[in-house]
Amino acid sequence: MNAIPLVLYVAALVAYMLHFARRQPDVGRAATTFLVAGALAHTFVVGMQTMEVRHVPVTNASSAISTFVLLLVLAYLFTEMSTEERAMGAFILPLVVALQLIPALHPLPEERAEVLQGPLFGIHVSSLLFAYASFALACVIGIIYVLQFKELKAKHFGFFYSRLPALDVLDTMNQRATFVGWVCLTIGLVVGFIWAGQAPGDDPRVQAMSLQDPKIFVAVLCWLLYSFEVFAARRIGWGGRRAAYLSAVGFAIVLLNFLPISYFLTKSHNF
Amino acid sequence: MHLLLVGISHRTAPVELRERLDFQARGIENALATLGDRHATSEAVIVSTCNRAELYAACEDVNAGRAAIADFISDYHGIERSAMLPHVYDVTDLEAARHLFRVAAGLDSLVVGEPQILGQVKDAHTAAASARTAGTFLNRLFHASFAVGKRVRTETGLGAGAVSVSFAAVSLSKKIFGDLKGRNVLVIGAGEMGKLTALHMKSQGVHQVTIVSRTIAHAARTAEAIGGASAAPWEELDTLLGAADIVITATGAATAILTKAHLEAVMHPRRNRPLFIIDIAMPRDVEAAAGDIEQVFLYNIDDLQATVRENLARRASEVSRAESIVNEEVEKFGQWLSSRGAIPTVVALRQRFESIRKAELERLASALPPDTRGRVDDITRLIVEKLLLTPTEQLKSVTDPETVGTYAEALTRLFNLDQKPPDTSTPRDATDDHRVEPFIRPGSR
Repeated sequence: MNAIPLVLYVAALVAYMLHFARRQPDVGRAATTFLVAGALAHTFVVGMQTMEVRHVPVTNASSAISTFVLLLVLAYLFTEMSTEERAMGAFILPLVVALQLIPALHPLPEERAEVLQGPLFGIHVSSLLFAYASFALACVIGIIYVLQFKELKAKHFGFFYSRLPALDVLDTMNQRATFVGWVCLTIGLVVGFIWAGQAPGDDPRVQAMSLQDPKIFVAVLCWLLYSFEVFAARRIGWGGRRAAYLSAVGFAIVLLNFLPISYFLTKSHNF
Repeated sequence: MHLLLVGISHRTAPVELRERLDFQARGIENALATLGDRHATSEAVIVSTCNRAELYAACEDVNAGRAAIADFISDYHGIERSAMLPHVYDVTDLEAARHLFRVAAGLDSLVVGEPQILGQVKDAHTAAASARTAGTFLNRLFHASFAVGKRVRTETGLGAGAVSVSFAAVSLSKKIFGDLKGRNVLVIGAGEMGKLTALHMKSQGVHQVTIVSRTIAHAARTAEAIGGASAAPWEELDTLLGAADIVITATGAATAILTKAHLEAVMHPRRNRPLFIIDIAMPRDVEAAAGDIEQVFLYNIDDLQATVRENLARRASEVSRAESIVNEEVEKFGQWLSSRGAIPTVVALRQRFESIRKAELERLASALPPDTRGRVDDITRLIVEKLLLTPTEQLKSVTDPETVGTYAEALTRLFNLDQKPPDTSTPRDATDDHRVEPFIRPGSR
């Protein structure tokens, strides 16, 4: 079922790339149309799964990625429509397509373990997914910032200069996305700790929930990193390019936590 | 009906002559009215800018029209024909359309791709429309030219990139800061170049422009000249640097006034807020190494000139794409023009039918009672209308000029359109038949 949005996302990817290179307004509109269509199809897919299993499909890595991709697309569409800026699409869509390949090619049955019942779990997962979507956006904005920064410093106005937004605009967007992500990450982690505290202790996975578990450890590491970026970095002069690098590193860790660690390493989060 | 263009531009005429041929001084409407009084053309639009004065006209006889327009220009501006004619160019029909399309696209401008020209062409058309000198023909032509201008602007990079040093400085600022509103500009030095660039920034709506100079009186004078700017003494330089977003240095100092170490000290309390420095002084005012500081973007006059050259080269490389858009649109306009070619035949055909109908009605008139005469008139008119509806539509839909010619010839022969119709009743009708008025819609008669 995740293949239909994937196909639309691939079409959007091609259109965003073409629009980035040639800047024809029609192609740009087509790109947005494909992406909106993809988001609608994806919402339908996730909605149907929700109806079927009676909760948002997030309990295994595959379906969590699918939901994450949908959130990322929605966050991006919001940014595009509020800034009238399509250049970022060419950078976001590769990530969207790459991630959507996982649920499309390797779907896992959605089964909610007994221990995961209750509203706290839903808040925990959805706020974390939203945090990760924001960080993904911040990361892409950061990459764009660095590209534009390099063109301006080198005084050579090549391919990217005219196509990318202004540095200061990118910096502000990065700050906002990071801050939204940080708030969601904080909520997700706090709710997670509360939930773990009241969860039935006889499940081996709940017993494994401590800082020694790689997934939890890396999540806390992320929180520390993003807290630094949100509150301290700019005060010690780590604005602009350094903040952009921080966003990229932060999201790399998030991805690491989201994919390989979830699949292979964690003992506490393999539901 | 032919399309005719007579004009001069920066390509053919020196500025002295262009100044004398400026139509805007006395108002385009006035010029159009004067031209209209001469009845030399059926439609006219005047495009007059500082780089060109062009008259677009629709007329039956190209040679007569050309001479009449040249006479009008020389009489209107009081210029000897012999002084003017060597600089005047004239083209007709599709070549005239191509010329206007190239003008609207900015391809014929002094600075290729400059954006103002499209607005000027639009103004020219608006003036002609309100003076009622633009009809079906020129309306269609000018609307097509607006479409060309828009397509070239959105589909090619012909108008992209700054092509003057001060505009390059502004567009660079925008790539660093986005919106310039709320930004502070500091000008170091009270010279002319600094003033010009500051004026440019001011027009972009920056928050504040401050001039600092070794002599406060000079700074105050420049600040006054810019309007809304303030002057500050040299001692406040460091404080001002701390608050500025954009710094323009243009002093006559022999050595650098801002060193890397100095700027590093200034940047520290700014917490890496970006600082854009435009060094337009010769010799340079800012140590080149200062550009290595993380959030300092240092551009000197050579860098700006290099970007201008780069942009000009890029525009030049877009010319062929713009030309192909012009070609496409000329072809489209040509098709429309050809479809208009059938109209004289349509008009003649209708007049022919109408005259036969009138003649027959006239003959019957005495035999009919007065109250039925009106009804018969209505019914016969309806029959003629219906009979002619399909052939009219068919003729108008043909765009290929050869087919139009074939159809026209066949119809002319079949209905004897180029001769006096047999047994016409009144002499009035007979003379009417010969006068073919191509630009009146058949339905409006």
